Amino acid sequence: MNFLTVKNGEVFYRNEIEFLNRNDFQDSVLNALTSGYRMIGLFPVDKKNPNKIVSILSDSVSSSLYIIGCEIPGNKLEFESFANQFPQTNYFECELAENFGYKPVNHPWLRPVRKQNIILGNQLYKFFNIDGDEVHQVAVGPIHAGVIEPGHFRFQCHGELVYHLEINLGYQHRGVESLMLSANPNQRIILSESIAGDTVVGHTYAHCSAIESMTDTQVNLRAQLIRSIAEELERIAMHLSGLGGIANDIGFALPAAAYGRLRTLVINSLAFLCGSRFGRGLFVYGGVRFDFNDENLKQIKGNLEIIKKDISAINDFFFSSTGALLRFENTGIVSKDFAVKIGLVGTAARSCGIELDTRIHFPYGAYRYFPVSPVTLSTGDVFARARLRALEIDESLSFISEQLENLPNGKIISDLNKLRINSGVISIVEGWRGEIVHTAFTDEEGKILQYKIKDPSFNNWYGLSLALRKTAISDFPLCNKSFDLSYAGHDL
Amino acid sequence: MEVVQILQGIISLILILGLSPLFVGLVNKQKAIYTGRAGASILQPYYELKKLMKKETINANSSSFISTIAPLINLIAVAAAAAMLPISFARPLISFEGDIILFAYMLGLARFFQVLAAMDIGSSFEGMGAAREATFAVFAEPIFFFTIGSIAFISGFTSIYDIYHSIRLDNISFVVFIIVCSISVFILAVTECSRMPVDDPNTHLELTMIHEVMILDNSGIDLFLYQYSSYIKLFIYVILEASFFYPFAVQSYTLGIIIFVVVIIILSAALAAVETVTSRFKMKNIPHYLLFATAIGILNLLIYTFTK
Repeated sequence: MNFLTVKNGEVFYRNEIEFLNRNDFQDSVLNALTSGYRMIGLFPVDKKNPNKIVSILSDSVSSSLYIIGCEIPGNKLEFESFANQFPQTNYFECELAENFGYKPVNHPWLRPVRKQNIILGNQLYKFFNIDGDEVHQVAVGPIHAGVIEPGHFRFQCHGELVYHLEINLGYQHRGVESLMLSANPNQRIILSESIAGDTVVGHTYAHCSAIESMTDTQVNLRAQLIRSIAEELERIAMHLSGLGGIANDIGFALPAAAYGRLRTLVINSLAFLCGSRFGRGLFVYGGVRFDFNDENLKQIKGNLEIIKKDISAINDFFFSSTGALLRFENTGIVSKDFAVKIGLVGTAARSCGIELDTRIHFPYGAYRYFPVSPVTLSTGDVFARARLRALEIDESLSFISEQLENLPNGKIISDLNKLRINSGVISIVEGWRGEIVHTAFTDEEGKILQYKIKDPSFNNWYGLSLALRKTAISDFPLCNKSFDLSYAGHDL
Repeated sequence: MEVVQILQGIISLILILGLSPLFVGLVNKQKAIYTGRAGASILQPYYELKKLMKKETINANSSSFISTIAPLINLIAVAAAAAMLPISFARPLISFEGDIILFAYMLGLARFFQVLAAMDIGSSFEGMGAAREATFAVFAEPIFFFTIGSIAFISGFTSIYDIYHSIRLDNISFVVFIIVCSISVFILAVTECSRMPVDDPNTHLELTMIHEVMILDNSGIDLFLYQYSSYIKLFIYVILEASFFYPFAVQSYTLGIIIFVVVIIILSAALAAVETVTSRFKMKNIPHYLLFATAIGILNLLIYTFTK
């Protein structure tokens, strides 16, 4: 095969990518997908020139990323869809069609990704619809009863039972990818902090390592560890908040309040470090802006001690409560088979028994030297997704405690060089929700030519649809919360 | 004598109508304390009702006159049911042989109009809520008739006032019945008033709601009427429960009132505790829970039949 093989965060030159003709491209991608690789990107190298696209595939066994290009001359932007055989590529193809006017031939289900009024094919998109006397549709959103992000959900129900759920998003589309190209370097970090408000550290980490790779900047180990600790703090905070949300959704007031209390301690720890409870302002190209000192170390360690002491008691109470278990077990199941087919990532994938953790399979930053242990569960129901998050909190807590004791010395900011010309990089980070992919290409002047972001929500929303099949509609909020996906991260 | 009785009845009714928001405030305050929060003032439900009265009332374009009249009918029917309840040893405003049936179906009427109004708006949400409310009502009705009804059977009276005041502590079978009945009345109260673990009054999740989803489109005075009637309804069931304990007062008015107050405070604590430490049932399991309460009522009747 003609793939360009790189590692996570390894910079390459654009001319190393081989651009094949349509047929060879289709064959190569199909081959790769058949051998179990997962698609993580399908987009043009240059926004203004949609004729040259690249497909990025990842293989967690060899920790390698494979890049293959395709050049389609003329105005007829067509290729044979892969989605019939490999549903995981479905959404990538829809996105390509929506943004650049591509036509995936024989695509099974071409639908809008972010622009609901776009015409794909020759007519406006119509929702999938079940006919019959006793079936009914329930349309929810985009404006909801609570203060949550906007998204439209269309249920096809028979009584209380959901047969099909369609999720339409895009109401939060801000054009982050385009803004990335026009923004100056300082603005870019702020932009990446705002991609998804709950994954500030994850996205900023991915962005910074992409830029640092392309500028050949070495980040000091101390700075890398501070980044990882911030990332794990974010993971703990969001997992606690997610568990609290799950408890709240089943009306379980006690654990909901307890998890909320602990989350405050974690985000306050992040504030001790960098002044922002969500980690804004911590990252800077070449390292981090804030360092640990005796004072904030003491505060953070104190907080972590409290959390460690309380979390096990709360988890025991929560996960041994019969009422909660009745709600969680066998609710919203995604089988491993389906999960692999649709390409789930992150916590949703790990709770179906797929071992996929960027920190382990595509190690980056401090995780190269200080590995974490993988956590997987196999049942794929709400219980697995909730329990997995509880287990990951324990894992992250022990990672942080260990690293806080052994912080190496060194400066925390390295100087940034100039961006390499005509090059590209793929930077993957395991955010708390899952795999965050930032791909960047530069042009001959060293400016950013293309910046592509893939939040884990992009893969996982479809998993939620599948989880709802043959599930009671009243369990939707619980399933939704157990996936805990981002609207903003998907909409960009 | 007649005038005094009517006066007592009126005072009882005013007490019920006036105190019902306070009870909700009491439950919410205790719930907050149990979960480690300060919580809103126990007068918060009054403030909320006051706020709703000032708000503009908007009806959906697709709704008919049903939506306009339903909230008022709902409140009046619930208030009429409240007028049949005794506080201490005062004879209620409406009390006659067989008023137990009227009582049950006044509440039924209130629900009927609420369900009708929900379907009238034409939103898929409200229709879903209406279907759930109607379904669970089917399971809740037998609870009332088998529990209160079994006591009626035993005492031989069919007026709520008489039923309660025929309870004698010296008859041991009564004591057994009361304990068993108070369990099933508690379950009934939880169901009818959309509290945990059947429904979550605090949730913002439209798809899981039962009662709340039916009033999603209501605003202003309509919402005020619905909210107020739901507060009264909860209080009605609390009084039903409290009335079981009047016999301890041994025909003394003051003692009766003290028992009334104490039982209400205990019940609010119990309700808050249940809502804090339980999670909601899966919707398909709710009928099992309700049938359990019905079974208790049937058990009462069986015990009566066999001990007679």
